[in-house]
Amino acid sequence: MTLKITNISKTYSNGVQALKNVSLDIPNGMYGLLGPNGAGKSTLMRILATLQDPDNGSIQLGDIDVLNEKDKVRETLGYLPQEFGVYPKAKAEDLLDYFAILKGITERRARKEVVEALLRQTNLWDVRKQKLGGFSGGMKQRFGVAVALLGNPKLMIVDEPTAGLDPAERVRFLNLLSELGENSVVLLSTHIVEDVSELCTRMAIINRGEILLEAEPLKAVEGLQGRIWRKIVDKSMLSLVEYEHNVISTKLLSGRTVVHIYSEEDPGNGFETVAPDLEDVYFTTMSGHVGNLKPETAL
Amino acid sequence: MKFWKIFSFEFSYQLRTVSTWIFLGIAFLFPLFFSAIGQSSDEAVFLNAPSFLIFITVFASVIWLITSGAIAGHAGTRDIQTKMHPLTFTLPVSKAKYLGGRFLAAFLLNALIHLSIPIAFFLSFHIRTVDPGQLGPFRPEAFLTTYFYLSLPLAFVATACQFAGAVLERSAIVAYIASILLFPIAFPLIGTVAAKLAGNWELVKLIDPVGFSIAGTLDTWTPFEKNNRVIELEGMFLWNRFMWLSIALALLAFTYYRFQLAHPIASTWWSRLRRKRSKHTPAPALSRVVEHLKVSVPQVNRNFGFTAQVRQTLAIAWSSFGTIVRSKAGLIAVGLLAVQMIVFAFEYLEFRGVPQYPTTINLLVMLTASLRDFQTPLIIIPMLIAFYAGELVWREREAGLNRISDTMPVSEWSLYLGKFFGLALIILVWLGFLMVAGIVIPVTMGYTNADTVVLVKALFGIQFTNYLLFALLALSVHVLVNQKYVGHVVIIMLYLSMVFAAKIGIEHNLLIYASDPGWSYTDMRGFGPYLGPWLWFKIYWVGWAILLAVVARLLWVRSMSDDLRMRMQLTRHRFTRTTALTTAVAVGVILFSGTYIFYNTNVLNNYTTASERTELVAQYELKYGKYKHIPQPLLRGTKLQVEIYPAERKADIQGTYTLVNKSTLPIDTVHLATIEAVKTGAIKFDRPFKRILVDEELGHSIYTLNQPLQPGDSLRLSFDVQYHVKGFPHKGIDASVIQNGTYFINYDLLPAIGYQAMRELRGNGERKKYGLGPWAIPSLYNSANINRVMPGQELINFEAVVSTAKGQVAIGPGTLLKKWTEKGRSYFHYTTSAPIRNNYSFFSAKYATHKATWKNPASGQTIAIRLYYHPEHGEHIGRMVKSIKDSFAYYTKKYGPYPYSHITIVERSGYASELNAEPTTVDYGESFTFSSLKDNPWALDLIYFPIAHEVAHQWWGAAQLLPAHVEGGIVVSETLANYSSLQLVEETYGKEHAKKLLDMWRKSYEVPRSRATAPLLQAADAFIGYRKGPLALHALTEYIGKDPVNDALRKLIEKYGSGKPPYATSLDLYRELKAATPDSLQYLLQDYFEKNVYWQLKTEQADAKQLDKNTWQVTLKVHAQKVVVDSTGAENPVPMNDWVEIGIFAPWQKDKKSDKPLYLRKHRIRSGKQTITINVAGKPARAGIDPNFLLIDLNLDNNTKNVKMEGDNKEEFELI
Repeated sequence: MTLKITNISKTYSNGVQALKNVSLDIPNGMYGLLGPNGAGKSTLMRILATLQDPDNGSIQLGDIDVLNEKDKVRETLGYLPQEFGVYPKAKAEDLLDYFAILKGITERRARKEVVEALLRQTNLWDVRKQKLGGFSGGMKQRFGVAVALLGNPKLMIVDEPTAGLDPAERVRFLNLLSELGENSVVLLSTHIVEDVSELCTRMAIINRGEILLEAEPLKAVEGLQGRIWRKIVDKSMLSLVEYEHNVISTKLLSGRTVVHIYSEEDPGNGFETVAPDLEDVYFTTMSGHVGNLKPETAL
Repeated sequence: MKFWKIFSFEFSYQLRTVSTWIFLGIAFLFPLFFSAIGQSSDEAVFLNAPSFLIFITVFASVIWLITSGAIAGHAGTRDIQTKMHPLTFTLPVSKAKYLGGRFLAAFLLNALIHLSIPIAFFLSFHIRTVDPGQLGPFRPEAFLTTYFYLSLPLAFVATACQFAGAVLERSAIVAYIASILLFPIAFPLIGTVAAKLAGNWELVKLIDPVGFSIAGTLDTWTPFEKNNRVIELEGMFLWNRFMWLSIALALLAFTYYRFQLAHPIASTWWSRLRRKRSKHTPAPALSRVVEHLKVSVPQVNRNFGFTAQVRQTLAIAWSSFGTIVRSKAGLIAVGLLAVQMIVFAFEYLEFRGVPQYPTTINLLVMLTASLRDFQTPLIIIPMLIAFYAGELVWREREAGLNRISDTMPVSEWSLYLGKFFGLALIILVWLGFLMVAGIVIPVTMGYTNADTVVLVKALFGIQFTNYLLFALLALSVHVLVNQKYVGHVVIIMLYLSMVFAAKIGIEHNLLIYASDPGWSYTDMRGFGPYLGPWLWFKIYWVGWAILLAVVARLLWVRSMSDDLRMRMQLTRHRFTRTTALTTAVAVGVILFSGTYIFYNTNVLNNYTTASERTELVAQYELKYGKYKHIPQPLLRGTKLQVEIYPAERKADIQGTYTLVNKSTLPIDTVHLATIEAVKTGAIKFDRPFKRILVDEELGHSIYTLNQPLQPGDSLRLSFDVQYHVKGFPHKGIDASVIQNGTYFINYDLLPAIGYQAMRELRGNGERKKYGLGPWAIPSLYNSANINRVMPGQELINFEAVVSTAKGQVAIGPGTLLKKWTEKGRSYFHYTTSAPIRNNYSFFSAKYATHKATWKNPASGQTIAIRLYYHPEHGEHIGRMVKSIKDSFAYYTKKYGPYPYSHITIVERSGYASELNAEPTTVDYGESFTFSSLKDNPWALDLIYFPIAHEVAHQWWGAAQLLPAHVEGGIVVSETLANYSSLQLVEETYGKEHAKKLLDMWRKSYEVPRSRATAPLLQAADAFIGYRKGPLALHALTEYIGKDPVNDALRKLIEKYGSGKPPYATSLDLYRELKAATPDSLQYLLQDYFEKNVYWQLKTEQADAKQLDKNTWQVTLKVHAQKVVVDSTGAENPVPMNDWVEIGIFAPWQKDKKSDKPLYLRKHRIRSGKQTITINVAGKPARAGIDPNFLLIDLNLDNNTKNVKMEGDNKEEFELI
């Protein structure tokens, strides 16, 4: 099954253009949507999750017209929004069971089985009798995952899922997703580069409503081989370096500043070559050296 | 500075909220609306009278209480609900400043909202055209006092309660619940119950926080007071304000003390109470998480077909039901109501201080109420329905779960119906609570005859349907409006428009949502003629409800696109073939049932609006009023053939009237008054005549005789009357002829002779509109009025053959000559032994019969007594027979013979308990038999006394002595009937029991009413005729003795008891009483009969000292005053030098029922303070002035005082 997004645009009534002619082809497997806050990720996710309608464009999921056959989409959709609440007085097990019915798992035995499996997978089994009002942020997030996983969705949309999770939970959650990605389209939006680099077979970088780059992470990293250079400088030198070179990122390390620059040849000047990673791909794309963003518009 | 910033931020933040402006808008629009529809009943009262402002303020306050809890609620909880509290609570702001600023902002906003009420009231007379003659001067003091004494304190107290509740429970909804449950419902209820228990209306004034007690007494104000009186801060009202402000301040202090600027620990008051029995298991450590688990979510079958949708709907219903059950008011509110009904059942089930059985009818009155009845505690059910409809519609969105739940493969139908069924389930539970009350109450009272099946039908059939219709409306409104507070406001407005539909010009029940023509259940009638029409109306409304549901489903908000344009676009996707089909079915149901109902209400029956009926009544007088005083032949004899068909609900009557010309002029024109609801035909005179006019609409026809009827000559008039019930009207279903319990009076169906003055329009405001002069009861001092024979007063010879369905007994006036069965019908032939007044009834039902006779030992006259009653209501028959026999014995001895040889007592079908007396007949409604006397021998015998009262009417009012149709007529009938039966009660049961009756009469003085009443001689209202009159005559017997009073009455009936003009008036009674009263007490008669006098008698001090072993000296300091209250309500003190009883009583002893008087004698008492010293032989306990309450005194509590012994004080001093 493939998710085919064609020329989607969305402008809010306050004039903000959240999506500009976005087109993407998303195959089975994990697909990372990377972008800074406010890039338009959530809008795209909500459109895919049948919660919003774009101004124009079309979306196909296999042979389902996502925009006009919402009921069909919902039957095969798993959605974990960026922010969500729960019924504070409901017990975890009861609410999951409730959602299982809404997802069409009407047979009691099957439902019981699924609910138990999901609660165990999300490590909520021991607290299944507790009220959701007392759950921590991470527990709530895992509960949301369990709800999203109900009914083995063919289209899974997860919007910044790892934000509230501790490192161990995060790993566990990402594992769950990648397992699911074997048979489904899993679209993961995030601003954390590691999420994508560790899991996703394909990715897109989005900013200001436009897709800047669509690539396979490994190939994208490969493409930067030999073009990223590094130097540790004093803070006072930073502006000079920025003036002289295409700085893509700066980072503090033990009180001094590590500067990464993009350069197709050796810049000299004490810069050393580094093996690029996905973060470098991201920053290079955001600063317009690769991808669809033209440098002049970026400056 | 911080305080000021917190305050101003909160204030301006709320001003930027839409809901605040909506609350302000309601408070503003409501007075406009009400002042536009509220027509003052009395022309003398200005439209902008202060009393009207008070009324509107109280009413608008209730609306404010119901709607505006959000202001204080949000001020108290916004930080926690928006999860801003980690930021705000950690600021360096003190608790006092934080809470104080928030509270002050909420209070000021509410004060502002209240301010819009008087402003709107003021403006309402300027923005529409009002007749300047109906406006009084602008009175700023009325606006100021109403606002500062009524509105502002309420705003403060209610805001404090709402704020405290919200802050302490950390939930804005608590503010709503607090204000809805506490103010408009709980306090008036507590107050009323307390007042009933303690018999003290002052208590209501003390407890009532809203001003109901003031609004409730407005009716008793005189026009002068209504135009001029403003609220004064005095007496109980002052204490009330003081008490409530103290409570509010205490509550705020408590809130300050309890509130913590800390992270809220999620817990409910319930769990806090339970002290956490089970500790939360700490979340398991996730150390072992990193192990790579294989994801193994089982693959299961999923369904999206119809059965799955049903399953989903049920899941949503159950979950919705669960949230309501777990919410704070979900079960408690109605549960408490039911518990309260059980606990106070004895008080609820009480009539005039006498316990009543929890019969089916009485239980129905407690447990059911029309949806449109807003004066019942059951109004909390529609309130809760509206509230929870909002909660359910907004449930996902408020929990922040909507983004997940909206993406579930669930149809909008399942979501909508699920929530509806959830509401339906909770309504079922609530009705279950009421049902439990309906079962438990009879059990606890040991009553076994209540019909549980009927309760089930009424609660789970009728009430449930009504509540479901309302629930559907509320849900749909919330969906359509899509703004929670606005939704609530719209529902309340819709509800008010249902309640006050007639006021805003909508009368037909086809136009008022969920309405019906009304229903009732009684043991005799069952659900009677009401169920069929009720069902048709409900089918019709269910059709509308389905349409509402379709619209709500189409516009159901799902996903983020909640602006109307987007929702409209979505409807195109959602409008499927099933939708079209459902819509078609709904429209079909509406059209089909609506057409059928319309055919019944408007084609088969005549639909008229209230104003059209007024118009008809006015037209009658305008067109035919000129015939009011023209000579007409007098009815002398009536012969009827009455055929009652209970099953077909029809009656056919053939009749012949014998008319005689009693005037001095020949009569050539006969005017016949007919009834619009029946077909009157076959009018024939026994001589040549011409029909001049037949006006069926106004019920007047005119015939001329070819040969005038000469004075003294008589003629016969024969006619046919057909009463056939056709279909049903939109309201007020006629129960004259029904399956079981047929009852009608002659003037309901039969034609009458001449112009009928009693049909005239009474309201002077309306009369003026039609150019009619003011209406008043004819004057007592005009002798023409006294000689006039009014319709119903003609003395007739009567004979009738009444037939009915087999198995029923048909009853008419007179003695039963013969009964037989013919062609499967039962026939009864009645005739009277002496002429009766032209006022009689017919009955037909499956009656049980009881026969008895009474023989007059003096004359040997035998009177046949027949009682007809519903077989299940036979408990008190013995008591009734005894009352009738005792009545005959006493009244014949004291007042003179009974002119007939028979008397009939009949049970009338219907809920009402009143009794009627007609010549030779007494009838009572079903509820009359419900007094529980066997188990409560202490109670007033509310069977014996009323029957004695009605039998007394055979001397006074119904037969023999007929009152002239002038002022004071009620004194000649009701006062004398009550007085005679009091004498009989005392004769049979003794003084103690008679005292209970007197106490019951005096109780009516405690109910707030205007003191500016007419004197007894000109009495026109029931209170004076039934209460003040007999109390006055009773006092007279205590002053001059019983025999002189009884003899005066005997003389009265000897002179006027023929039933022929001139008729008796209150002046004739007064003359006889004056003749029987010594000169020294004539002043008392004058005070009672000619003036409107109140005494104010008080014992200020009662001391005693022991003179020797057997003698005590009692010193009484008393204060006395006498005032005359004029027609404006003003009190004018008059000098007093009256005989008043002074009494001294021995201590109460167990074996005696009352305290023994050591001294009881009448003293001359002047106005002002005076000291009286009396020696008594025995230890005194209580002493005072007018201890038996013979004089009219509104405050009876201070008449006597416990005696203080001189020695007691000394001992105390010695001890110290």
